[in-house]
Amino acid sequence: MFHQNERILGQETRQARNVGDTLRRFWHYFRRYRLILLLVTVFVVGSTYMQVLIPDLTGQAVDCYLGPYAAQQFGGGDMPFEGIPGMAAGAAEETNAFSNCWYTQPESGASAEATIAGLGGLILLIVGLYVGSAIFSGLQFYLMQWVGNYALRDLRADVFAHVHRLSLGYFTRHEAGDVMSRFTNDVDTVQQVMNFALMQVLQGGLLIGWVVVTMLRKNVPFALVSLVTLPLMFVATRWFSAKARQAFRVAREEIGDVNADLQESISAVREVQAFSREDENIEQFRASNAANRDANIRAQLFTSALAPSLEALSYVSLAIVSVVGGLAILSQGQLLGSAVSLGLIITFIGYTQQFNRPVQQISVLWTNIQNAIAGGERIFGLLDEEPELHDKPGAIALPPVEGHVVYNDVWSAYNPDEPVLRGVNIDAQPGQMVAIVGPTGAGKTTIINLLPRFWEVTDGAVTIDGYDVRDVTRESLREQIGIVLQDTFLFSASVADNIRYGRPDATDEEVRAAAELAQAADFIELLPDGYDTVLGERGGGLSQGQRQLLSIARVALTDPRILILDEATSSVDTRTERKIQAALDKLLSGRTSFVIAHRLSTIRNADQVLVLDEGQIIERGTHRGLLEKRGFYYDLYMSQFRREVDEEEGEEEAAADAFFVPTD
Amino acid sequence: MQASARRNRPEGGSGRALGRAIQYVGRYPKVALVAALALLVATGAQLAVPQLIENIIDTIVTSATNQAILELPEAVQQLAAQRLGLDLANMQIDLDNAPRALWIAGLTVAVFAIARGGFTFLQMYMSQVLSQNIAFELRNDLFAKIQRLSFSYHDRNRTGQLMIRATDDVERLRVFLAQGLLMALQALILLTGTLAILLLTNFRLTLVILPILPLAFILFMFFGGFARPLFREVQKRLGRVNTVLQENLAGLTVIKAFTTEPREKARFGESIDDLLGQQLRVARVFSFLFPFIFLIANLGQAAILYFGGKQIVGGTLTLGEWQKFSLYLIYVFIPMGQLGFIISLMAQASASAERVFEILDAENEVQTRPGAVALDEIEGRVEFDNVSFRYFAHGEYVLHDINLVAEPGETVALLGGTGSGKTTIINLIPRFYDVTEGRVLVDGHDVRDVTLESLREQIGIVLQETTLFSDTIRNNIAFGRPEATDEEIIAAARAAAAHDFIMEFPQGYDTPVGERGSTLSGGQKQRVAIARALLLQPQILILDDSTSSVDLQTEYEIQQALDRLMEGRTSFVIAQRISTVLNADQILVLDKGEVVARGVHEELMETSPIYAEIYHSQLAEDVELT
Repeated sequence: MFHQNERILGQETRQARNVGDTLRRFWHYFRRYRLILLLVTVFVVGSTYMQVLIPDLTGQAVDCYLGPYAAQQFGGGDMPFEGIPGMAAGAAEETNAFSNCWYTQPESGASAEATIAGLGGLILLIVGLYVGSAIFSGLQFYLMQWVGNYALRDLRADVFAHVHRLSLGYFTRHEAGDVMSRFTNDVDTVQQVMNFALMQVLQGGLLIGWVVVTMLRKNVPFALVSLVTLPLMFVATRWFSAKARQAFRVAREEIGDVNADLQESISAVREVQAFSREDENIEQFRASNAANRDANIRAQLFTSALAPSLEALSYVSLAIVSVVGGLAILSQGQLLGSAVSLGLIITFIGYTQQFNRPVQQISVLWTNIQNAIAGGERIFGLLDEEPELHDKPGAIALPPVEGHVVYNDVWSAYNPDEPVLRGVNIDAQPGQMVAIVGPTGAGKTTIINLLPRFWEVTDGAVTIDGYDVRDVTRESLREQIGIVLQDTFLFSASVADNIRYGRPDATDEEVRAAAELAQAADFIELLPDGYDTVLGERGGGLSQGQRQLLSIARVALTDPRILILDEATSSVDTRTERKIQAALDKLLSGRTSFVIAHRLSTIRNADQVLVLDEGQIIERGTHRGLLEKRGFYYDLYMSQFRREVDEEEGEEEAAADAFFVPTD
Repeated sequence: MQASARRNRPEGGSGRALGRAIQYVGRYPKVALVAALALLVATGAQLAVPQLIENIIDTIVTSATNQAILELPEAVQQLAAQRLGLDLANMQIDLDNAPRALWIAGLTVAVFAIARGGFTFLQMYMSQVLSQNIAFELRNDLFAKIQRLSFSYHDRNRTGQLMIRATDDVERLRVFLAQGLLMALQALILLTGTLAILLLTNFRLTLVILPILPLAFILFMFFGGFARPLFREVQKRLGRVNTVLQENLAGLTVIKAFTTEPREKARFGESIDDLLGQQLRVARVFSFLFPFIFLIANLGQAAILYFGGKQIVGGTLTLGEWQKFSLYLIYVFIPMGQLGFIISLMAQASASAERVFEILDAENEVQTRPGAVALDEIEGRVEFDNVSFRYFAHGEYVLHDINLVAEPGETVALLGGTGSGKTTIINLIPRFYDVTEGRVLVDGHDVRDVTLESLREQIGIVLQETTLFSDTIRNNIAFGRPEATDEEIIAAARAAAAHDFIMEFPQGYDTPVGERGSTLSGGQKQRVAIARALLLQPQILILDDSTSSVDLQTEYEIQQALDRLMEGRTSFVIAQRISTVLNADQILVLDKGEVVARGVHEELMETSPIYAEIYHSQLAEDVELT
């Protein structure tokens, strides 16, 4: 128990804001299993009832069978002991000795055999109850797990589906890591509660309530005296847990420092050794390490005190029950006008010992429940995010296109007040190549995002072969557009499956042909398992250049009419660079293409060069034409590609100043 | 050698590692002693609880009986007393004393409760103090060791792995030391003590429940062994769910572009159904095992209730004893449950201990030799005398027979492709690695004969991948000389062309640098790194002069700063810039670990075709590549 305390109290606590709403939404996931939940409730009530009943039956065993014999040891077998309050088997007397015995009403002065037989029957009943409660709690545990896990599965599936409905804009505003954390940490917290904490707390609460009621029904004054420590237990638990939590919060911060120190010093160990800083670092680490130790020890002060003080309180209630009960028996079995029997004392001793555990569990696990509600709030917050615009009702499938793309006075904005594009007009004829250049933040990426409808225009229209992209289904639209991005994301699957990603039904021959076209076939054949080589996480194991070739092959296989290309700026070695260039040339030929250009050769080959600045096309034309203009493009070009200009203009000595690191 | 030693280690290796971790307890003898004593007292007290309850119940029963007899009619009174062999007078005294006896018994329990609480607390708290201190020591030892281990060790081990050992593994060890060790002791005392008491008080009744014990024990063991692989499988499947999600988030655009959402949804659905299946499997096992274990313990109680009841009827057992017995029975089952838990804790802790000591035992290949002298202020003459080098004992040679002499103040440019050995050469001068054959001499001293600190203090290093620390700019510049004055720091920053941009920050030199230098641009970081090296006033300089992506103006400033840095110092430069090569006193062209050409630019252009090729392809740049 104590160890559990340490773990739970050490957790982060969060406050939920809208508990009712969150609970209602959780209920939505449980509603379809409500019959099973009803069954669970029956089992919970049943097993709790049995747990309460058993101490009562043990008390009966004493009062109805064993008490008389314990007394008879003093008086001999043949003599009735009618006057002994609380233990005599004198049914005729006005004492209520057998008021406790509802199971059987033993004969006064029954023989030893008969008593043992009666006792045996009672114990068979107890064994039956034990077995029953085992079955009930097993079923209850399993069904609850079943419901909880199914509900969570539904929740996970909903979150996942929702992630795909969200627009790319959501992910520019939020880190993917945030979504990931809601998915892992928050769902995890919820799961812990559903599988374990909720049940424990409900059952613990039920048990306490039931025991209290039972005790009160049996004997009000005695019950009140025996329950004196119960509120103290709650107060103690709350106080120690609150203190421990505060202290653990400090400890968490300290361990953060320790980890940061470790991380930095280990990853920069070469610098540390180069500058002979080992001793200072070790000293510094010692300090943060010691602070962490002290904070933890302080937190342990409170967690270590919780369990022993609850235990001590339960012994105190034991003492109270015994002394008060014993004194009552001495005063003719009377306590403030109520009857106390020996069996009742034994029953009450059993009851007081049952409090300790649930009290502790409730106080400690309550935090878990609060955390889960806060976690649920965050999950539902994600589900509430506005999804990407759906297909229009009655949207038609885009028929196979020629590739005539027109942007007609297009405006677009991520935030309503800050337009990213301001009146863009483009007319790309089928098969034309459009190069887009401009400084960072000019709106280049936004332009290409509008075409496959990753993002929506706020005004104007984008049309393909005369169809507004908003009037066709997204699927039919995107199927005809191929996209090669800077970040060449690959899945942890085989090379062939990665190439086949856009067309799972492609044959091996088609895959090979696409790899050939993308100049990727050579290196793929050198991989340990060729096309069946399974790539590590995010294409790990391949070089940046190889991954680019694979992503080109992937697009080549889908044979799109329109191509969007965001040229990579990362430097790769010369040979790979040439291969990529050659692959792209093949891919681009005959397709309408939009290229965010970084390579001079791309720009030179483009049919149209659009110069973008602050969301507007400020210059357009061919490379040559724009250079002659000596405008914005010329300046941009001079700063980015100066060396090549130098070469072009034949200024050989400029080579002495040449820098060959890309300066984008 | 190390690897083979590891392979030859006997089977009991992990147990021994755990033993070594336990030896750390000896560093805090007082705390350990207090914890152990408190544990003994607290456990002893626990064993006394049923006895106390028996006393109380017996007190109540006796007083009740006495009272009953004394209230009987006189004649019967006498008879009853005779039968019981009691004296009526004594009974009367007993009865008069009964309230007092009750009070005493109750107070005993109360006092006991406080004492037991106190000692339990002391035991828990002290074991936490002990374990936290041991974790502190282990982490310190690990940190110090990791800081001093040579580059070759860090080449083989990734930061993440070392981190996990210093955090998770140490924590797992700590939990075992704080809980497992004492819990095992406690469980053992409780189990043997209880069984002894039970056998002594009522042999026959003990025999009734004895057969349950091995059954329960086997069940607990089975449970421990059974549960672990089930949970491991849950973790594995959960990992798969997270991987799918991670990929979907990272590759979101690709998925949207290829409209494969339905496929991904199906893939994800499969992974969560898989997880669900395993979770339900675990739930099934547990919903059987948990209640079953409780049932066994409870059946033991029922047996005591019945057979004990028979003894009471037969007059050989008192009610108090009977109640005591059922309480002791709980004490038999608790430690058995704990033992199962302890065994799994111990298995984890052993594995962790092994990983921790693997680091602490790692041999540091580069160390100051006994009797090494401190290197005096040097002139800066560096000589490689027939140097060969390989990273691993049986690996391939990375350098073959390198000979070179750099006179004080000379600049040596190193040229060559990836894997030609350029980096290895510069790593040998500050003794980041030891040569395999031959010698590296600084001012005539073999670098292995001088202390590491005195050697490295006189060598300034600027690497391509600049790592800065999350501290202020000032402290980053003063990294190698924490005692440097502000004037010296500013002078170094000026020389490195860093002063101007530093002063543009609102907090100037006190601007905090984010993790890995994230508040500074690539070019700024590089200049801070140059200032850091300048501040050392090193006689020998090592640099990798390729710059990360910076604009032309910065590029120019950095070059100026580097030129100033090299002035008057012996410099080894991994050359990326034409100007560096043109100004070098010596150019070494390396290929596959050998010097294939050396000389100055003009000579090499004529004599070395490799140099000419490198010059054209790498330095003069090709047009296609921007």
